[in-house]
Amino acid sequence: MLVLTRKINEEIKIGSDITIKIITTSDNQVKIGFEAPKNIQILRGEIYEKIKESTIEASKAFVQTNLDLQKYKIKKV
Amino acid sequence: MKINTHQFGEIEFTEDKIITFEKGLLGFEHLTKYLFIKPDDSLFYWLTSIEDPDIAFPMFGIRVIDDHYPQEDNHEAFAIVVLNPDPLKITANLKAPVYINQNSKSGFQKIIDADKYPVYYNLFTE
Repeated sequence: MLVLTRKINEEIKIGSDITIKIITTSDNQVKIGFEAPKNIQILRGEIYEKIKESTIEASKAFVQTNLDLQKYKIKKV
Repeated sequence: MKINTHQFGEIEFTEDKIITFEKGLLGFEHLTKYLFIKPDDSLFYWLTSIEDPDIAFPMFGIRVIDDHYPQEDNHEAFAIVVLNPDPLKITANLKAPVYINQNSKSGFQKIIDADKYPVYYNLFTE
């Protein structure tokens, strides 16, 4: 892994169209700004892992489809 | 073409039924060709991999539960469902919807980074 030291307001470029900027820092937090093309998904790592885990879970839950759902209601958001 | 699936046994289909996910799904980036099956008696659709027919994802149309869910032009939003023998434990992933265009036969997954959309949304109540 490449490790760089940066000061507040300094940037890092990845290729020509991705820019990462250090906005503020405090005790154990860093606020980071990102500029990237729209088709690049920027995500907190733990969210990515959680989604991946749930998708794997979904692919394995081969419960027969004849679930009796009659007495249940679909919950609206 | 024919595949032998875990969920539905042998399925025969023509090439025009194949839905392509160029980037696959999160955690399944290597699987890009799917069939989208809705059994008559089921609330759920099944996104079934052609490349690995043992892999199938139950899906639920998000429109049914949320009128204001983020839309994508010409695509319908579906949530990947984690089934459970106890319906109260069935969840739908509203954080990473799958958008499908059944005319152009293409789809993609998107992540909606907003706290109001959980990965495990309980789909049923009593």
